[in-house]
Amino acid sequence: MTRTVHLSLEINGKTRELDVEPRVTLLDALREHLELTGTKKGCDQGQCGACTVHVDGKRVLSCLTLAAQVEGRQIATIEGLAAENGDLHPVQAAFLEHDAFQCGYCTPGQIMSAVACIREGHAGSDEEIREYMAGNLCRCGAYNSIVAAVREAAEAA
Amino acid sequence: MRDFSYSRATSADQARQAAIQSGAMLLAGGTTLLDLAKCGVFEPEAVIDITHLPGFSDIEMDAAGARIGALAKMGEVADHPAIRANFPAVSESLLLAASAQLRNMATVGGNLLQRTRCPYFRDPATFPACNKRSPGSGCSAIGGVTRNHAVLGTSEACIASYPGDLAVALVAFDASVDLGGRTVLADEFFLTPGDRPDRDTVIEPGEMIAGIVIPASPAAKNSTYLKVRDRQSYEFAAASAAVGLELEEDGRTVRDIRVALGGVATKPWRARAVEQALVGKALDAASVEKASRLAMEGAVSHGANRYKIELAPRVVARAILQMGGLA
Amino acid sequence: MTIMETRTKQGDASDGALGGRFSRLDGKLKITGGATYALEHPVEGLAYAVLVQSTIAAGRVVKVDTTKAEAAPGTLLVVTPETDLELKVASDWYGNRPDDQPYHPLPREVAFNGQAIAAVIAETLEQATEAARLVEVTYEETTAVASMDSPNAGEGKLVDQFNIAWGDAEEALAASPLRIEAEYSTPREYHVPIEPHGLTARWDGDRLTIWEPSQWTHGMARSYAELFGLPDENVRLLSPFIGGGFGSKAAVYAYGAVAAAVARRLGRPVKLAVTRPQNFTSYGGRAATRQTLELGANSDGILQAIVHRGASETSTYADFPEQTSAATPLMYAVPNFSSEHRLVPANTVMPGALRAPGKNPSAFGLECAMDELAYAAGVDPVEIRLRNYAEHDPQSGKPWSTRQMREALAAGSEAFGWAKRSFEPRSMRDGRQLIGWGVGCGTFPVLRAASEAMIRLLSDGTVEVVSGAIDMGQGTYTILAQTAAEALGVPVGQIDVRLGDSSLPGATVAGGSMLAGAITGAVHKAATAAREELIGLALNDANSPFRDTGANTLTVTDGRIAVPRGDGPSLTVAELMSATGRDLIETRRNTLPEADQGPEGHKRAWTTMTAIQGPTAGDYSMYSWCAHFVEVRVDEDFGTIRVSRIVSAFDCGRIYNPKLAESQWRGGIIMGIGQALLEEGLVDGRNGRVINNNLGDYLVATNADVPHIEVISVGIPDLNASVLGGKGVGEVGIVGVAPAIANAVFHATGKRVRDLPITLDKLI
Repeated sequence: MTRTVHLSLEINGKTRELDVEPRVTLLDALREHLELTGTKKGCDQGQCGACTVHVDGKRVLSCLTLAAQVEGRQIATIEGLAAENGDLHPVQAAFLEHDAFQCGYCTPGQIMSAVACIREGHAGSDEEIREYMAGNLCRCGAYNSIVAAVREAAEAA
Repeated sequence: MRDFSYSRATSADQARQAAIQSGAMLLAGGTTLLDLAKCGVFEPEAVIDITHLPGFSDIEMDAAGARIGALAKMGEVADHPAIRANFPAVSESLLLAASAQLRNMATVGGNLLQRTRCPYFRDPATFPACNKRSPGSGCSAIGGVTRNHAVLGTSEACIASYPGDLAVALVAFDASVDLGGRTVLADEFFLTPGDRPDRDTVIEPGEMIAGIVIPASPAAKNSTYLKVRDRQSYEFAAASAAVGLELEEDGRTVRDIRVALGGVATKPWRARAVEQALVGKALDAASVEKASRLAMEGAVSHGANRYKIELAPRVVARAILQMGGLA
Repeated sequence: MTIMETRTKQGDASDGALGGRFSRLDGKLKITGGATYALEHPVEGLAYAVLVQSTIAAGRVVKVDTTKAEAAPGTLLVVTPETDLELKVASDWYGNRPDDQPYHPLPREVAFNGQAIAAVIAETLEQATEAARLVEVTYEETTAVASMDSPNAGEGKLVDQFNIAWGDAEEALAASPLRIEAEYSTPREYHVPIEPHGLTARWDGDRLTIWEPSQWTHGMARSYAELFGLPDENVRLLSPFIGGGFGSKAAVYAYGAVAAAVARRLGRPVKLAVTRPQNFTSYGGRAATRQTLELGANSDGILQAIVHRGASETSTYADFPEQTSAATPLMYAVPNFSSEHRLVPANTVMPGALRAPGKNPSAFGLECAMDELAYAAGVDPVEIRLRNYAEHDPQSGKPWSTRQMREALAAGSEAFGWAKRSFEPRSMRDGRQLIGWGVGCGTFPVLRAASEAMIRLLSDGTVEVVSGAIDMGQGTYTILAQTAAEALGVPVGQIDVRLGDSSLPGATVAGGSMLAGAITGAVHKAATAAREELIGLALNDANSPFRDTGANTLTVTDGRIAVPRGDGPSLTVAELMSATGRDLIETRRNTLPEADQGPEGHKRAWTTMTAIQGPTAGDYSMYSWCAHFVEVRVDEDFGTIRVSRIVSAFDCGRIYNPKLAESQWRGGIIMGIGQALLEEGLVDGRNGRVINNNLGDYLVATNADVPHIEVISVGIPDLNASVLGGKGVGEVGIVGVAPAIANAVFHATGKRVRDLPITLDKLI
């Protein structure tokens, strides 16, 4: 048998307990063990941004993060972004309005990245948004609308 | 990834002790360790997480220079006001690297230990021969697809290029790496492959990077990092240059100049010949372009990477001219 | 709140639901993480499968040592070429199937590097991944053809069906005062959907359920059924959301067969996720191409002859032609024409259909060549296209159904400011940045197919639109709600759409830009029938308040039923259903001709491509068209190219939802930027390995590579093309982008780069 560790992760303000092997990434813990499949696996190599989540408020790639590493940290995923009553986060609303996605697969990563991008103060111009959102690949090519959505949400923030 | 144990280091000493054990690896940002473990290049048996160690993330600045804790994140260092003010090239080298997410994860200590992006190094299942992975097994890159391989500092054993950006700036400004028990100049910290390509750096088992020390200088304060690549962002350099320039009071004679190159060599490449050719001279476009070509002394191409020999001097020249207000 | 400056009143019927700028019906699920993609469907008792791929290009597997893999913790099963998975070859896309031929998805013969040759199934993903690494394969290598550029690749084989000729092209070329000749090439390119391929397969007795991203639920369900010798109805393939396909998710591949077979063998559901590197060889991308174009013209640049010789790479075991002549005979009036296409076999996975197959590389050649001709003749590149305007289809001789190409060139030029362009190359600069403006045109055929849909009017007034069609981001959910709303007279918000399930009414493949035209026709037909049934109920039911109004018809507007003159009762759909005691009105309609009604006709239509009609099947020649105007900035020292401005004008007929169509156009254009400047599968000539099989080395455009893109619709409804007047939207957007960029690079630098991608090393 392979060894497992017991983890207690704080995800979207809730404590989630799981037993996994130490080599399980945060991404696989979310998707394969916790039924939090909103966080997407696009490359599993840190090259696409689809798996972006927040750890202690910072955007990071969950595919290159061990689940064991983030015990004790605050983890936020796309599932925790909208308000309890279902009201969309302003970035989510702007993505919908501007049609900032097509297939939707990179979208949770884009949105988590965008929320952080605005929080970091890196949404001051279209050029800045483009650069600071460059770590989230979108093969459908929704980039124009992503920039528009981030800009609008940043201006409203 | 092979099965491994996970533990959190309780102190730096304990981490160093644990890391000496066979099969143990230190985990900082994880962006290299987990990536290469997934590729099958790293096969750790024990992973020791050092990210929870206190006191290794501080960024301090005084008149002598900056000291950056090894566990400071790339993004934090890039955005730090003192770094931006005193070492623009360092800040820019970080901001032009990877993506915002990766910069929030990767530590500067880990960044120095980043391994090459040579596709042959990264694919052990298909290419068993790689002297960097297993000395003596051969080099699969030579004779293969070499567009991104090094033209400087190569050997018959290895032509893999050093992929990082930060270290290029560090080498330019005589930064040193604090290994706990000893401090090594960044330029000497990195090794050319020679016949031991498996050794990227001088770090020994039981050693751990504690921090980076960058001496303040007028050249470092008036510096830039210029990175050229096909994709606008999120790509390794085709060629890059860290340049710092200090002029005499006349505003045109070079008092001090620092030049280092990235993306073209097997290690962060200090171009002292370029510096020597320009110190004491009046800065003008023609002399800068001529001097910049000296950066490629000894360059050897392996086919598709030939363009780097032409490109890199142009990058150096542009960066120098920009700092001199001539471009 | 809209930021689009596109004219929304053109090419649509924006006074109704259809043509409106509705946000995506499925949008909220996608932005909250609530959209469940194939591998995310929760299934109890899963085992995980991981593929092992070959590391040589050609030869035989002589031994697979599974000892270590089997001994690894958690391993349940290792399958190799030794394992008989008890499968039969399934039909191809056209329904052709050899009798009772065994199928080995993990073959002993290796035809390319990266071919699946084994798989490990284990309790966890991590265990399966690690055990797969422990499988040891011994090969007997044979000489390979690494790529079509290899010295031993040869000239390839001529494909007779692609010989196109009229007039005497060679003679007319020789007699032409202006001649240009150039060779253009494109590399292997990959779909790179951000959702990697994979599936979960579960058996319940002799019934198989597959969760797999699919551009064609019915076609792929049939393939799975045939692999296992099952009746079609025993297989259910579910694909409610697809994380991008671009042509790659319309077929069952080897890994799918393996996953389903091992699930049966283990008696457990199995999930198989193809890793990102494995995606590069688990199915084919766009084939590499090369083509030589000779254009002859008179001194005014009026074409006299085109001689075209093209070739594309194919595999050694099956052919996929990336037809370099797909656009060449269509775009311009030319009295003498000759084109040939060859297939050059190499040890690669069989190439596949990637956004605008054929048309895309074909237009790269022709549209660059037209630019070269413009410069040879000293004529503006837009002007030369107008001088050679094809008033009818030069190849078929048929009239165009609609062709707003002049309008596209005019509208694009105007919005871009083309009139201010200086003709000379290297004549515009900003410091060290050379600025260039280029134009390129594109086309894609209207393919017509039948589909089926069901409308269900529920007692609460909700309407369900039900079809096995799919939405991979092109907007099927949304435009079907709009279509049903328009036909029924109920608000879009009252409509639910269920898609992506092979047990639902049949639909054609979401490919070739044909699904929207096909499925909106079926939905419109079913919804119209439902509306008639609703009105019949209102007029005839004993308990209906309309029974005694004396009206012989009723209106349904905004969800309310009323008499046309407006002075009678007015009921919501729910109120009428309640008053009459009906809890459901259900209509199911398809757009097949009478002769094809019945099980065989349906099977042919929903599960093969044989019933698809080409662009000239009728009296007209039907295509979508576009013109792209591009500005690039080229660093004259570094050779780096940045696209700084794009305006593109499209004739895609009637636009059902401009907001979504604009997104698709931009998406195609952005893929075109990647194709022009970044994308290239790099093959190691020694072992045929695609060595940049990941997203850090196979570069697609990032947000930072893309400027604001202005898109303009100049289309008009084309009722020959489809029931509701739309032509295709999804594919045409990429066609013509790469040549427009290459032409802009020439204008900036004076240098013609004829082999894609235009990387910096080609300019310094």
